[in-house]
Amino acid sequence: MLVAKTITFRIRRFDPETDSAPHWDSYAVNVFEGMTVLEALHQIKAEQEPSLAWRSSCRMGVCGSCGMFVNQFPQLACQTQVLHLEADIVSVEPLPNYPNVKDLVPDLQPLVEKHAEVKPYIIHPDLKEMREPSGEFLQTPAEREAFSQFTYCIKCGVCLAACPTAATDPAFLGPQALTQAYRYSADNRDSGVHSRRDSVGAFHGAYQCHMAGACSHACPKGVDPALAIQLLKRALVLDNFGFGKKESQSAKVAPLADVVKELEEFAPPPRTAE
Amino acid sequence: MRETRLWSLHILVIPIILVLLGAHFALMHYAPIFYALSVEKAREFSTMIARGKNIGQFVVYILLLAAGLYHGLYGTRGILRELPWSPALAKLIDLGILIFGIAIFALGVYVTWWTFNFELGG
Ligand code: HEM
Ligand code: HEM
Ligand code: SF4
Ligand code: FES
Repeated sequence: MLVAKTITFRIRRFDPETDSAPHWDSYAVNVFEGMTVLEALHQIKAEQEPSLAWRSSCRMGVCGSCGMFVNQFPQLACQTQVLHLEADIVSVEPLPNYPNVKDLVPDLQPLVEKHAEVKPYIIHPDLKEMREPSGEFLQTPAEREAFSQFTYCIKCGVCLAACPTAATDPAFLGPQALTQAYRYSADNRDSGVHSRRDSVGAFHGAYQCHMAGACSHACPKGVDPALAIQLLKRALVLDNFGFGKKESQSAKVAPLADVVKELEEFAPPPRTAE
Repeated sequence: MRETRLWSLHILVIPIILVLLGAHFALMHYAPIFYALSVEKAREFSTMIARGKNIGQFVVYILLLAAGLYHGLYGTRGILRELPWSPALAKLIDLGILIFGIAIFALGVYVTWWTFNFELGG
């Protein structure tokens, strides 16, 4: 591959077993067109610094493992092309707002705990119906559209790293968790906003969002967490004053005969063998 | 749930502040325009006292004081409480702001009431 440019990578290093504080190391990398920051890290590890640590897996912006602070902006290393940064020196640090395990590895435990705290699953008032539904829960395309974009979250934690409120308030639930709280609360099969209010409607929940919008700017999947949080505030207020969604729909059983009839209306009758 | 109510009130008083602030400006800062007074005359002690005896102004100020104080202090509490205090200190901040708010409200009501009842030369 044609080398386009030699770029200096300044990488923040930290080994808890030997270092008392982080330090910076520099590596020169011959960068080719299309090379990602993740590929550059692999090259540094293969050719210059075998002990360099980071976390990655899919290399295609799906697993959410490789969030890093690249040139002072939280992003996925596998989705960031080095030449697109338009800089001769590229700094790489672990994601801010998380404890640092080693080198570029953040401890995402706070993200996982906050996510779990908001009950990110469909809550149906009837537990039996929830576990063993008596039929299909129907959802129109419009009902799905109400929360569709919020399902694209890959739990990379980049938004929480970008959030200025999370930087001062470690207890703030943050954009990822609050967005998932809304994703489920807005689902027509769910009636859980009332039981989520203890976490998302408390001081360190949705109301601590002051609409900086850094999360939406940083999210690599085009999720708009800042929007979700404002919609969640509205859902919480409506629920509090008794105007909210009362109950999720119960399972609507579509008898087989109806399904067949519907299919016949839309699909041509099957061809019979002659 | 409690936070939801407090925050809702913080937002709900915004339109009230906007309307009453409009009234405040009309009654006070634009008095020379609305009441056709000269600026010097509008600023005179006797004119202020005369304004203060208007029941409309009295009501507007008590409400604006309450709305402005609540909105401002709830917002300030939000900023202060964002820092990682211990639960005990967080409680102390809430209590301090509540007491401060009540004290300022009492002072404001006292001053407005005093103006409302003041007799020139009396
Ligand atoms: C929550 C908002 C506010 C409240 C509760 C409030 C209340 C008051 C009160 C009670 C007075 C004295 C009235 C009198 O002596 O007759 C006053 C006067 C005054 N206010 Fe406000 N005010 C508010 C907002 C503002 C704002 C936003 C400004 C400026 C942009 C302002 C500027 C002034 C000034 C300059 C005076 C003195 C007017 C004079 O010369 O008589 N106030 N305000
Ligand atoms: C003129 C009318 C006003 C409007 C339209 C207004 C609007 C707002 C809005 C939309 C917020 C954000 C709420 C949130 O983050 O959830 C806010 C926060 C705040 N407001 Fe006001 N406000 C007004 C007057 C005032 C006054 C008179 C004060 C002070 C006495 C004040 C002090 C604050 C503070 C301290 C915050 C918190 C800021 C933060 O959380 O980042 N505001 N205001
Ligand atoms: S909302 Fe976006 S930035 Fe935040 S965790 Fe999900 S995918 Fe990552
Ligand atoms: S390695 Fe999977 S998102 Fe980057």
